[in-house]
Amino acid sequence: MSQTRLPADQYQVTVQRPEDFDAFWSDIRDQLSTIPLDPRMELDELRSTDEVEVYDIRYMSLDGVEIAGWYCRPREHFIASPYPALLLVPGYISEPTLPKSWAKLGYAAIGVAPRGKLRSNGQFNPGYPGLLTQNITDRNTYSYRGFYADAVRAVDFAQSRPEVDQKRIGVHGSSQGGALTVVVAALRSDVVTCGAAGAPYLTGFMDAAKLTHSNPYEEINDYLRMHPDHLDAVTETVSYFDCINFAPLIACPMLVYIGLEDDVCPPETGYALVESMKNCQVDLHAHEHCAHDAGAYWEMEQVEALLAWHLKPAGSGRADMTVG
Amino acid sequence: MRPANFDSYWDNVDAELEAFPARPVLEELPMRSNEHCTVYALRLTSIGPYRIFGYLSVPRGAGPFPALLQTPRYGSVNHIPDYNDRLRYVCLQIMHRGQRLADQPYSASYPGLLTDGIVDQDGYIYRGIVADCMRAAEYLLGRDDVDQERVAIQGDDLALITAARRTGFALVNASGLMFYRLAEARLETSSYPAEEINEFCRAFPDNQDDAEETLALFDPQYHVGGLQSPVLLAIGGDRDWFQPLLDQLGDNCQIYELTHRGGTDHDNIDRLIAERLETPPMSRFIRTLSH
Repeated sequence: MSQTRLPADQYQVTVQRPEDFDAFWSDIRDQLSTIPLDPRMELDELRSTDEVEVYDIRYMSLDGVEIAGWYCRPREHFIASPYPALLLVPGYISEPTLPKSWAKLGYAAIGVAPRGKLRSNGQFNPGYPGLLTQNITDRNTYSYRGFYADAVRAVDFAQSRPEVDQKRIGVHGSSQGGALTVVVAALRSDVVTCGAAGAPYLTGFMDAAKLTHSNPYEEINDYLRMHPDHLDAVTETVSYFDCINFAPLIACPMLVYIGLEDDVCPPETGYALVESMKNCQVDLHAHEHCAHDAGAYWEMEQVEALLAWHLKPAGSGRADMTVG
Repeated sequence: MRPANFDSYWDNVDAELEAFPARPVLEELPMRSNEHCTVYALRLTSIGPYRIFGYLSVPRGAGPFPALLQTPRYGSVNHIPDYNDRLRYVCLQIMHRGQRLADQPYSASYPGLLTDGIVDQDGYIYRGIVADCMRAAEYLLGRDDVDQERVAIQGDDLALITAARRTGFALVNASGLMFYRLAEARLETSSYPAEEINEFCRAFPDNQDDAEETLALFDPQYHVGGLQSPVLLAIGGDRDWFQPLLDQLGDNCQIYELTHRGGTDHDNIDRLIAERLETPPMSRFIRTLSH
């Protein structure tokens, strides 16, 4: 049987919020709090400019995994500190952002490389495809448990920097970066000032897998084809990692932008996510005929404006286009 | 300017590649296969010698089938070929040396790949990467289950260069050109990967001329003069910028001007490829749901 797909805003996702969702993540935050951050920075002179210093950074995260990233900040003579911090969180297959263009705008910008990304894959490397389904039947060892923690931990890195104004910390990304934006804003609602999430992935996992055959959600379809008896366990696990379940925890202003023909992250899940953001101010921009680009060609200006309004960087200009 | 040693440089690459047998090995991947297609891990030898990787997907049933070669993106990961493409085509997504699944013994850095060995034309990493793509083309075009009249190649500069140096493609779909006029383009941007060249030139000004001479060897405008395959070139900006390339391509090129609306652009390009390969067009966005 087949039926014409309904408009995306009329779809009802099947996501359930586990009763112990908050306790599960509280426990992970407690575990993180016992691990010394051990932040390290090494100046990368090749990538630095007269205006921006670029650092290769490292810090410790859950399970003793060392996480890498890029840290870019304006030189003092170009823009004087303190700076607002901006976390740039990466897409599924994209490389972590080296956020020089954001630093030029006046941000202390961190390009996060959660475990499994290049430079953070010495201890954990499920590969691509692979990340989405690694240990997907067990929430306590599922790949995204540590991956999310690594992104959250980048807030701690920002807070460790004396040149960062602790009252101005933003987060932005698209696709998986959109998901990480939601997760960081939710789990660090005490300090995150604002967020901009494009084409949020890891949202309505099981619904999304039914609505598309595109990668990466197709990994779930592949997995269940091989292991149909794991359906209940998979559904249970991903409910602990679903952005729809994180959304009510967000307290800061958010921008979400989606493509109404997104085959990678179905727009139905974007609407459901925004509907779940019940405790924050959120703007949803839905772009006709756009796919996983989520209208970024036009939306980047909106993203920059939202971040600038709330974070008040001292520079001017345009940032590089965010890709998911 | 077209480098004086352009032809000899690439003739040497061809000769080197010919000296190494591909020695293909296929390993079925049940996890990625389905009722419509069988997906394999493919390993081939390229120059170096270096063992590269590809995802090969073959539709179930009796061939020959139309085929699609996808050249690697600039980044460490390439996806398994798209589901819709796997329904219609023999698909080969190649991973060049340094990318995941082809990252032993060489693992590429991002940023970093674009300037790796750039002052030594024979040691420049992209010399090997182009060879990797040509090896993939030879392999795909040589398969018995591929309809030789209906093979397309899709990607960036690597697709154009590969098609220029390996005949037999019914269509070249190129977009997101990186090497095209890169020595000029990098002056207008601070975005990666072009920024890698800016960084290199700032750090090593004495080597700038050498680097730019190397880059010219990979500029598609110098490759496509003799290209026999029709080209579908997707561009999103200033058309005048592409005029030198268009002059070289001549009547052989159809321009698709991007709308920047990904759904529209994908469907339009998919339709143009499907028309050429005589397959049904397919949108990745599913409009009719099955239960």
